[in-house]
Amino acid sequence: MKKLNQRAIALQLIVFVTQWGLMILGFGILALLVAPLRLQLDPSLGRYFDAGVKAMIALILSTSWLYIWDRQVRLYFYRKREGTAEPV
Amino acid sequence: MLPSGWGITTAVLLAIVSFPVSLILTRFFMQVNGKRGIVGIDVHKLNKPRIPEMCGASIPITLILLSAAYVLIGGGNSLMMLAFSLVVGSAAVVGVLDDRLKMRGIYKPLLTLLCGLPIVALGLLYPNQVYNPTLQVPIFGAFHLPVIYPLSIPVAISVTSNTTNMLDPLNGTMAGGVSIISAALLIGVLIKDPAPSSVFLYAALLFAALGFFYFNRYPSRAFAGNVGQLSVGAALGALAILSRSEIASIVAMFPNIQNSFFFLSKIKRFTEHRALTAKPTKLLDDGRLASSSDPKAPLTLVRTLLVGRPAKESEIVSTIFALYLISGTLALITMILIG
Repeated sequence: MKKLNQRAIALQLIVFVTQWGLMILGFGILALLVAPLRLQLDPSLGRYFDAGVKAMIALILSTSWLYIWDRQVRLYFYRKREGTAEPV
Repeated sequence: MLPSGWGITTAVLLAIVSFPVSLILTRFFMQVNGKRGIVGIDVHKLNKPRIPEMCGASIPITLILLSAAYVLIGGGNSLMMLAFSLVVGSAAVVGVLDDRLKMRGIYKPLLTLLCGLPIVALGLLYPNQVYNPTLQVPIFGAFHLPVIYPLSIPVAISVTSNTTNMLDPLNGTMAGGVSIISAALLIGVLIKDPAPSSVFLYAALLFAALGFFYFNRYPSRAFAGNVGQLSVGAALGALAILSRSEIASIVAMFPNIQNSFFFLSKIKRFTEHRALTAKPTKLLDDGRLASSSDPKAPLTLVRTLLVGRPAKESEIVSTIFALYLISGTLALITMILIG
């Protein structure tokens, strides 16, 4: 068995479990709050307008999710080496 | 509880055949490509050995051959096998083009968008027989996406193929990682909804990847090339859609997502590793790898694992496999939560 970087694995475990929990929460928000939304104004294009708005909300949620991921990795791995990791 | 029955048994037994087929094909490509000068330099070794490239072509060929055989013996859903084979085959063609022509970084994500079109087209021709636009969510049920779902299929295939392509910097990381992901999702499918076609495709991907891994593991004797990486990534994406394991597949690919996101957030454009001026890692005189001190270098997964702690390549590869085991376990829990 090769020597593993146990510290890195432990920190990544925290990152992955947090992101996993947040992802399930995000999908819960989409399933319970966003998907039932009906915003149809124009009957002909309403279906696509609805889909566009929902896609936009999903995009905002996923961007926030990735931002939290970014913060976590910088906090756990690059905190003492800010010079090597400028924020995005 | 594991399912019984001939359907699943036949699927698994035929899928196991993909291991020797992939092994033999990889060996064949190693000899042919080595003789033709299709080689790459293993930059993470002090002696910089020249390794046959594009040997990962064995995986898509194995998957397509075995899928055809599975349909011929009457075991599989022919539409699903056709959609899967078209996606994997077209991604392999994009990979070959990139390997031979060394295209600019932007072309790969654009061309792999097209690889998802067979699923969309077959889905439109045969509604609800190829994909199901109802997304199953852990704990919270499901929601119907009649417009967004088909539109997101090409994006999903492009993302999975390119993110798999990006996380193969060290010997065996792609093949080993995909083997772990496939094994986790195969167990999940067997527990949750053992449709023979899904079981067959996940098992075939697992054993085909293992066959290639035999020669690709540290120290590598064969490199996958873009042909192997893109087609394997496309296979994962196609399987996520065809076997309705979308969210679990995202979870299983957490190491890939982290690697690609931090690469793109730093570089801010689609580019090839070979075109980077600031490399994320450096090779020390004692053969170990260390994190780059260049602030312009991307924060790849390998670099993150090396921060403040230089390590041998084999140790980093094992650490990445441990991360895949974590993400694979979380994916399995996700599938169980979906029910």
